[in-house]
Amino acid sequence: MSVLPYAVAAWLFGVGLYGIATSRNFIHLVGCLGVCQSATYVLLLGLGYRWGSIAPIFYDHPPGTPAVDPVMQALVLTDIVVGATLTALLLVLTVQAHKRGGSLDPEKLRPMRAGRKSGRSQDTSRGDEAARGAR
Amino acid sequence: MTILLPLLLLFAAISGTAVVLVRDPNRQVFAIAANGLVLTILFDALQAPDVALSELAVGTAAVPLLFLVALMAVRANASGEEP
Repeated sequence: MSVLPYAVAAWLFGVGLYGIATSRNFIHLVGCLGVCQSATYVLLLGLGYRWGSIAPIFYDHPPGTPAVDPVMQALVLTDIVVGATLTALLLVLTVQAHKRGGSLDPEKLRPMRAGRKSGRSQDTSRGDEAARGAR
Repeated sequence: MTILLPLLLLFAAISGTAVVLVRDPNRQVFAIAANGLVLTILFDALQAPDVALSELAVGTAAVPLLFLVALMAVRANASGEEP
């Protein structure tokens, strides 16, 4: 049992990396990155867990009762919030890449250049229209 | 009780694998929400109720909704490009 959380964390991380490497869609890739992050949650909570101990809330237990490590739980809490922020940021970048390149496939991304050689020419006209509409 | 924790860990591994193997993003949203729910139950069994609460709010509700918003924005952008 003591090895199982680490094995599950390693499996989740490996499977998430496999998904990132073989993904053909940016939104699917962000979901695979979330799987990699869940590996860190399982790893940290498995590190701090002790058999037969209570949650670190001493409201109805006398002080000194064996409890699981609250530091790891604080770390996991921070990790979850940072992970949600990272997911939101990457999804916004995905939408912007789709607006600019017209595709969600990582293979079809072209490098951005100063001239309008790559990307679509109608993107600029539509952007100008949007800017004019905003004015 | 001793069988519950290994079972939930295996469920977490299986649902994480399902998130990766579902290649269509429209269906992957449901896999992500199910993965968040399994992780919530696992964290509760690992004696971390506050982490379970935050994972329930973030992993089961907020992140799938973010994915839905991103899919909607991409679809609106693609349909506005056609004509």
